[in-house]
Amino acid sequence: MNIPDSARKPYQSELSRWWWLKHRDYRLYMLREATVLPLLFFIGCLLYGLYCLTQGSAYWQSFQLFMQQGWVIALNLLAFAASLFHAKTFFALFPRVMPLAPAALMISGQWLATLLIATGVFLLFGGWL
Amino acid sequence: MTEYQLLVQRYDPEHDSKPQRQHYTVPGDHTTSVLDALLYVQHQLDPTLGLRWSCRMAICGSCGVMVNGIPKLGCKTFLRDYHTDIIIEPLAHFAVEKDLIVDMTQFLAHLSAIKPYLMNDYSGTAVHKQTPAQLAKYQQFSNCINCGLCYSACPQFGLNPEFLGPAAITLAQRYNLDSRDNGKAARMPQLNSKNGAWGCTFVGFCSDVCPKQLDPAAAVNQTKVESAKDFIISMFKP
Repeated sequence: MNIPDSARKPYQSELSRWWWLKHRDYRLYMLREATVLPLLFFIGCLLYGLYCLTQGSAYWQSFQLFMQQGWVIALNLLAFAASLFHAKTFFALFPRVMPLAPAALMISGQWLATLLIATGVFLLFGGWL
Repeated sequence: MTEYQLLVQRYDPEHDSKPQRQHYTVPGDHTTSVLDALLYVQHQLDPTLGLRWSCRMAICGSCGVMVNGIPKLGCKTFLRDYHTDIIIEPLAHFAVEKDLIVDMTQFLAHLSAIKPYLMNDYSGTAVHKQTPAQLAKYQQFSNCINCGLCYSACPQFGLNPEFLGPAAITLAQRYNLDSRDNGKAARMPQLNSKNGAWGCTFVGFCSDVCPKQLDPAAAVNQTKVESAKDFIISMFKP
């Protein structure tokens, strides 16, 4: 049977730039990706602190005062929460990408390693080690 | 019997410039699937409704539709799970030919692009032996029924139809992991490209909607590891 091409008129809808608002899964994905934003602020603080450290005690004290402000603490707490959320999603995805051991074992292993390293760094910089 | 309200997207290429929704009331009980409801519409209410279907038992992969915005197999989705109007649309990200029928040409082109067959030097009728452990490596990824739900779930495919997409990359990984296959080198250039595995950002929705629980997102991201290895190895080759 010979059907002329002109009989077809496929309708192609465009994906709007707000596609990520359509589903819960997409919103969670964007939330995971957006965790980088508060982390940028934290990295900015870190670099500012390093810069002040090289400029002498007056700068260092001004940095400490800056870090004690409520909004700075709030944003850094947000960055901390965001990085924990990102870690949770990353640790869950990792065993699927590199299935080296049972997923539950790998997830708990990653959290354990995070806890150990974080405690080690905390003790080291706190002067207890 | 309960009455269910369906809002079905209709598109007649001969008369419509864009799709619109049509309302149907269908009877159903706890065993009525979305496909049953659509066939009821076609047989009892409106014979002009176009849809694709075949096996009615989640094997053929023909009856994929969007149900309330989520890609589903019509035969594996039941009216009993919906308590409001049920909105049925053709699979997202594909061009609509008519009503619920989409053009899957692009999807099929992506599937064939990754050379989905065993490539090896065996000749004649030689037996391809494989241990259960070797089978287990790829078996999960070999259960794809080519329904295309993962492409409707994938925003990267929606934004860039050239992206090979979840099913094609999963199929490539299925053959790359097969001990009887030597075709990995022929598949890697496709998978290494920007429209290959690296086009994926691990949204992960494809794995949620897969009716066969293949976990295509895992396969795609395992392919990224393979692609990175392939790149590093290629640096040491003359």
